[in-house]
Amino acid sequence: MAPSAAAKAASGRVSPPLPPNPAPTQPIQSSVSTSSKNKSKGAAKRINDYTSEGVQDNDVFLLPGSDYQLLLGITFLAAAVRLFRIYQPTSVVFDEVHFGGFATKYIKGKFFMDVHPPLAKLMITLFGYLAGFDGNFDFKEIGKDYLEPGVPYVAMRLFPAICGILLAPTMFLTLKAAGCRTSTAAMGAGLIIFENGLLTQARLILLDSPLMITTAFTALAFTSFTNQQELGPSRAFSPSWWFWLVMTGLGLGMTVSIKWVGLFTIAWVGGLTLVQLWVLWGDYKNVTIRTFSKHFLARAFCLIVIPLTFYMAMFGIHFLCLVNPGEGDGFMSSEFQSTLNSKGMQDVPADVLMGSKVSIRHVNTQGGYLHSHPLMYPTGSKQQQITLYPHKDDNNLWFLENQTQPLGADGLPINGTSAWNNLEETPYIKNGAIIRIYHVPTHRRLHSHDVRPPVTEAEWQNEVSAYGYEGFDGDANDFFRVEIVKKKSKSGVAQERLRTIDTKFRLVHVMTGCVLFSHKVKLPAWASEQQEVTCARGGTLPNSLWYIESNEHAKLGPDAEKVNYANPGFLGKFWELQKVMWKTNAGLVESHAWDSRPDSWPILRRGINFWGKDHRQIYLIGNPIVWWSATAAVFVYVLFKGIAVLRWQRSFNDYADPVFKRFDYEIGTSVLGWALHYFPFYLMQRQLFLHHYFPALYFSVIAFCQVYDFVVARISALGLKKNPLIGKTGALLFLVISIAAFTLLSPLAYGNTWTKAECKRVKLFNTWDWDCNTFLDSYDAYDQLAKSPAAASPTSTSKPSVNVQAPPPAENPVAAGEQAKAPAVEQPKEEVSGAPAVDDQRVVHTEERVEYRDQDGNLLDIEQVKALEGKVEFKTRYETRTRVIDAAGNEVFVGAEEGSPVPVAPPHPDVEGVDRETPKSLIPDESIPAAEKSVEGEKEAEEKAPKPASESKEKTAKEEL
Amino acid sequence: MTTTAPQGTLRQRSVAGSKKPKDGASSDVELDKLVKAANKAPKAVSERDHKAAFTLITILAFVTRFWGISHPNEVVFDEVHFGKFASYYLEKTYFFDVHPPFGKLLFAFVGWLVGFDGHFHFENIGDSYIANKVPYVAFRSLPALLGALTVSVVYLIMWESGYSLPACILAAGLVLLDNAHIGQTRLILLDATLVFAMACSLLCYIKFYKLRHEPFSRKWWKWLILTGFALSCDISTKYVGLFAFITIGSAVVIDLWELLDIKRPGGALTLPQFGKHFAARAFGLIILPFLFYLFWFQVHFTILTRSGPGDDFMTPEFQETLSDNIMLSNAITIDYYDTISIKHKETKAYLHSHPERYPLRYDDGRVSSQGQQVTGYPFNDTNNYWQILPAGADDKQLDRHIKNHDLIRLRHIVTNTILLSHDVASPYFPTNQEFTTVSLADAYGDRAADTLFEVRIEHGKPNQEWKTISGHFKLIHNPSKVAMWTHTKPLPEWGFKQQEINGNKQIAPSSNVWLVEDISSLPADHPRRAKKEKKVKTLPFLRKWFELQRSMFWHNNQLTASHPYASLPYSWPFLLRGVSFWTQNDTRQQIYFLGNPIGWWIASSVLAIFAGIILADQFSLRRGMDALDHRSRSRLYNSTGFFFLAWATHYFPFYVMGRQLFLHHYLPAHLASALVTGALVEFIFSQDAVEHEVAYQAAKAGKKSQTPKHHLTARERFAGQSLFGSWVATGVILTLVAAGWYFFLPLTYGYPGLTVEQVVRRKWLGYDLHFAK
Repeated sequence: MAPSAAAKAASGRVSPPLPPNPAPTQPIQSSVSTSSKNKSKGAAKRINDYTSEGVQDNDVFLLPGSDYQLLLGITFLAAAVRLFRIYQPTSVVFDEVHFGGFATKYIKGKFFMDVHPPLAKLMITLFGYLAGFDGNFDFKEIGKDYLEPGVPYVAMRLFPAICGILLAPTMFLTLKAAGCRTSTAAMGAGLIIFENGLLTQARLILLDSPLMITTAFTALAFTSFTNQQELGPSRAFSPSWWFWLVMTGLGLGMTVSIKWVGLFTIAWVGGLTLVQLWVLWGDYKNVTIRTFSKHFLARAFCLIVIPLTFYMAMFGIHFLCLVNPGEGDGFMSSEFQSTLNSKGMQDVPADVLMGSKVSIRHVNTQGGYLHSHPLMYPTGSKQQQITLYPHKDDNNLWFLENQTQPLGADGLPINGTSAWNNLEETPYIKNGAIIRIYHVPTHRRLHSHDVRPPVTEAEWQNEVSAYGYEGFDGDANDFFRVEIVKKKSKSGVAQERLRTIDTKFRLVHVMTGCVLFSHKVKLPAWASEQQEVTCARGGTLPNSLWYIESNEHAKLGPDAEKVNYANPGFLGKFWELQKVMWKTNAGLVESHAWDSRPDSWPILRRGINFWGKDHRQIYLIGNPIVWWSATAAVFVYVLFKGIAVLRWQRSFNDYADPVFKRFDYEIGTSVLGWALHYFPFYLMQRQLFLHHYFPALYFSVIAFCQVYDFVVARISALGLKKNPLIGKTGALLFLVISIAAFTLLSPLAYGNTWTKAECKRVKLFNTWDWDCNTFLDSYDAYDQLAKSPAAASPTSTSKPSVNVQAPPPAENPVAAGEQAKAPAVEQPKEEVSGAPAVDDQRVVHTEERVEYRDQDGNLLDIEQVKALEGKVEFKTRYETRTRVIDAAGNEVFVGAEEGSPVPVAPPHPDVEGVDRETPKSLIPDESIPAAEKSVEGEKEAEEKAPKPASESKEKTAKEEL
Repeated sequence: MTTTAPQGTLRQRSVAGSKKPKDGASSDVELDKLVKAANKAPKAVSERDHKAAFTLITILAFVTRFWGISHPNEVVFDEVHFGKFASYYLEKTYFFDVHPPFGKLLFAFVGWLVGFDGHFHFENIGDSYIANKVPYVAFRSLPALLGALTVSVVYLIMWESGYSLPACILAAGLVLLDNAHIGQTRLILLDATLVFAMACSLLCYIKFYKLRHEPFSRKWWKWLILTGFALSCDISTKYVGLFAFITIGSAVVIDLWELLDIKRPGGALTLPQFGKHFAARAFGLIILPFLFYLFWFQVHFTILTRSGPGDDFMTPEFQETLSDNIMLSNAITIDYYDTISIKHKETKAYLHSHPERYPLRYDDGRVSSQGQQVTGYPFNDTNNYWQILPAGADDKQLDRHIKNHDLIRLRHIVTNTILLSHDVASPYFPTNQEFTTVSLADAYGDRAADTLFEVRIEHGKPNQEWKTISGHFKLIHNPSKVAMWTHTKPLPEWGFKQQEINGNKQIAPSSNVWLVEDISSLPADHPRRAKKEKKVKTLPFLRKWFELQRSMFWHNNQLTASHPYASLPYSWPFLLRGVSFWTQNDTRQQIYFLGNPIGWWIASSVLAIFAGIILADQFSLRRGMDALDHRSRSRLYNSTGFFFLAWATHYFPFYVMGRQLFLHHYLPAHLASALVTGALVEFIFSQDAVEHEVAYQAAKAGKKSQTPKHHLTARERFAGQSLFGSWVATGVILTLVAAGWYFFLPLTYGYPGLTVEQVVRRKWLGYDLHFAK
């Protein structure tokens, strides 16, 4: 903001005099503000509105024909450089793991959760789809071969490559729009073409190249718009003005629909727009309030409404594509999930009655349904386990019984669970009703007592178990009172009595007053790591809420009133997904072998190892000449600005010179773009990579070119202006140097063959940590390698060099007899419903056996069974259980306690029983925690898990910004 | 007070037609004197009012802070920490803390004054002071004293800044009747010192600034240095004191910026003159505070001469400067053929092996060597015993010490195998080498090279002897140059969930450090265990300070563990949640740290109003509309703006702090918001006398009018106007605030106990109070 009368009058001790921000309009301001004494204003101005001095019309549609020819040439050159050997490497590289994987999910329509908005992923999918990709390749790990399964990976890589190609002409046009000479603009485009880092990113299935082109397009559009704006009121609302404003909005929408870093671009455009509006606001002689409102609304519409609509439209397409359940379900609410195919459910009867067979679901966590299975707690009461289980299963079914059996016509209670089926009145379950909850498959009732739960051994928590046997009348500890939480329930009848889905209720244990409760704490392996259910006194409300999802009753025929989940609608789904994305993004704090902090980026301290195989390597590193000169340009500007401001305060009249002012404003704009795309990363705790610097790099390259342009063509004092040849030669020379640097490092970008010696020659710093030993000694060696493909050995450091016994063929059928080898593990394992399947397991063998159990689930041996024969009734139930066997034929333990061999040393105490994600000490649910000292100044925090410092090739954590 | 209001340096750079008289500065001063003389009489009256109000407020502050200070007679909240540290000082045992020492030294000083010997260590919240005979009232008196004086300082700040009587009373009253300030300053906590130092630094700076027309005078220097001292006390108490540096620093930068202005009213300064100003401020506000800061550390080191709980945080060299340190006394030189147990420094796991072998194939499909497992195991066990064999021929030559960089072999006693590493990927890290053991025959046969390890002592000199405990070392595999390393992710079942041991290619990280815990082959009475009387070593102060400083910053960054009552900065101005400090079930008493909601909400809304006024003013000015008179605007921007700046710099930086935060971090910002409230209420409710503005405009227009052109003082300004509006506003606000204070008083003082109904009535925003059922 230019110094104005206002700021001056106010400036005192605490409000600093605003330094002469190079708003394009300083001269005008001085003429319109109350003062003609602004010291920065010198020469007489003839412009008497907000037009900026020294600005020409740089419309990129009105360039001379030679420029367009040059533009075409640049595009062809870029295409040649980007597309060279794009088929190589022929296997999965770095984060192709994720983005290729998303393409398969889009094609299959499986819902997934990712922290990036969908635009670029959709485009990648589109390219793959058009090339005939059927989604039958999982991109599971780096180095997985593309050729053999016939993945059209070249087509998929073509999309980022096209984006990368277009980046060069965009740079050319942006520099032209900023008023640079053609030679400078061509140099800028050349620097982009020969930038190793941008090249590497643009040849692989990654999001950064699409992000770059949209950012660059936004910069082009906004630069053009600014140019129109600065030409003054005559251009306001002209077609060109409108066009570029709309394009800016569209560009912003696209950028932010690719990655959320697009928000930095929005900040850049937004900040500069505010400056423009401030200028307009100050020109009160020419800009009436009415005109100003028009300006304001035009910008609000184009820069807020258009991007937002575009962004939401992308999510609309996203939801249209992902119609099936997939890995991402667990992140979303049940309403959301019910919109996915096959996760949606039939309408269920609305009224819940005594005797209804229901499944009860927990509201706050995605843990699932109240569940029990015929397994006992190893701790506490040793009664049957109650858990939360996420999948539909018969073990989730419960009968809701009244505390007393109903009386029949004869005045005697009708026994059995079907007692309520034939009553005359409809036995609604009203608010405050006391019920018993009967587990249908195991004939036990939900039960609680003053015993600590297995994991959360807090004083305020009681264990919940299933207790009893078939025909058992139950005891007082089986009684639960239904308390409907009206605030959370749908208004109307659902607040009075129990209704499926609509009613959210608490279950209060009558005897102890505790409330049925669950939280994100997993039970150990003996319950298949299902979620813990307890009875809590003073548990938080959200974690104590339950609702009924399925409901069945003999009295409720097909014509009974039905309900289903409310459809969240597009907006509901959109908003929910945004929240989940944000939360997941913030949680990405793990360290990664190749991450780096922002301070190392401008100096190009370290790159990223993308891929290595067959003695070749892809390593993301920039072109040092380009990076360092761009960084230097930023420093030059900062230095210039510092001196200029000091001189301004000492009343030097520098700003009277239009060239000086334009230098300050134009380069300041680019440097602001650099700063806004760079400094916010310092605030991010999450893992960061070198490629996060690319947008900032783009702006700093613009700044560099602008500085160059001013030096050779616009500042007359230097004398270079008179000799255009010097400028052109200089640009060419610089470009040649950059190309040389590019060529030297290019094998790393393309994954080409290289020799050790050449590699070591260009490895200037130790921090450039690609591995020269990967490469062979000479190019001849590669030829030989190609001749004998069998000899090719993986270059990864995990190469086993000792004689390792060849693994037994995995197909080896495990004969039944072989299992006798491990008698210790031969114990029958209890069935845990829905024990999560271990990946890559095949059924190698099935066996059958009959077991006898008593009502408590205890196993009976043959003699006991014989003794009981005739006295009791035997019931038959079929169970399937899975025994997991590893390649060596040993059984893998899934939750069997007794089976473990006696360890040589006791198990590690820090590990046993405490899941890392759900430490015991976690008490987030206690509504009123006790007073606790803070950790200030103590050594509580001293523990920090050591991290592997050695290198490893890893993909980045699944969700990265 | 009366010389100049802050608007004195107002530049009129962009004001049309403003022509300063060339001798502006000198005439200013003279006129000021004239005015002073002229105002003698009314001034006396006003001064007397201020003095009376000041005395009253101070007395009330002492009453509110000291009332019932002996209750509760148990350890409350973080008294656990700061009481403990005082005890450590008194016992002279070395401890480690992430806060600088000043505030804790004050407590130790109090303890020393009343003759406490430090026997009680404040272990748990709720420990009785009576039973343990702790002079806790004396301890608590210190923060209470500072807390009471804070109120007085707030009054003085407003007074010095030239605000009217009601404005001063209002600002001081908001702090006086604030439950958070009271609650925090009645307990053994550092915040009282912190807030007091922060308030003092504001006061001193205002005093200093008012002397700007007499630069480099004795008084000018005095207040400059006092500002620096207050700042230094602030940052020497807690590192958040840095925010006060930002506040004062910003003001100084703006001040310097104006000095640089060639058209400043006092006449242009030459660059050397400006340099002198700059240097003086740099000296007074940066160099001196830093020296004070170092001084407290010197005191800290001088007092803490004995080994204590903080030893582990320091390097062995540092620890050897402490008397009766375990490093000093228990280190034994290790010889060849000794049997030792080796412990990982970070995870405290021992190097362990057992006959089980690595599985052939891991889950991810990679294969192992199927050699004997080498793991990390946290318990003492005979499987942790390793014998050191020399690299050369096994010559059985005893009594040879092992030196730094010696090559050794390690024999696992129980299985009689030799430790080895080789180029096979470890179970979890494809990039790290597997560790295993091989039979003696192999170890001396074709695998001989792979069993050689180098002992590399941390910060060791060549030929330094390897000792137990103090000899932190890295075990480097000789042929492949990888360091033995372990981490906490447990191995799967086949490894009995013990820790993985592998070879790390990066040798530098400190997680590779191991130490020899004991020589198990050495009987307890062996002569080598005999303790020799060793001299306590010394280290240069700066080296000790630097080491401690680095360690403090590192640990400060680690404070990310969650706390049930931690809160986020956005919730503070709205006072969404407090902190439970202490509860007593029998009497249903509790201390719940919470501000006075009414006071906080008023202060926070006033901040918003202030921001709104400034914005509106800027917008209208930009459109050429001047709604405010020159004097009010200058006051609004300079004085009130300074308070607002103090609030912002004490509040917003918390948003970028990753560590756990509590409501009490807002206290300095709240104090600043109280100042803004006082100032803004005066702005809103008092009308400036019109004639001054007329005179000013006339002067501005260049007419040498009869009215002397001078800077009007507060008292002059108030002379002609009614303070009635201000008084009413002050009265209403303070009444409300007092009611709020009284209502929440039982939660602040922990007395009396409340019934369920009473507790429920105080759960205003769902405050999570105890005993609500």
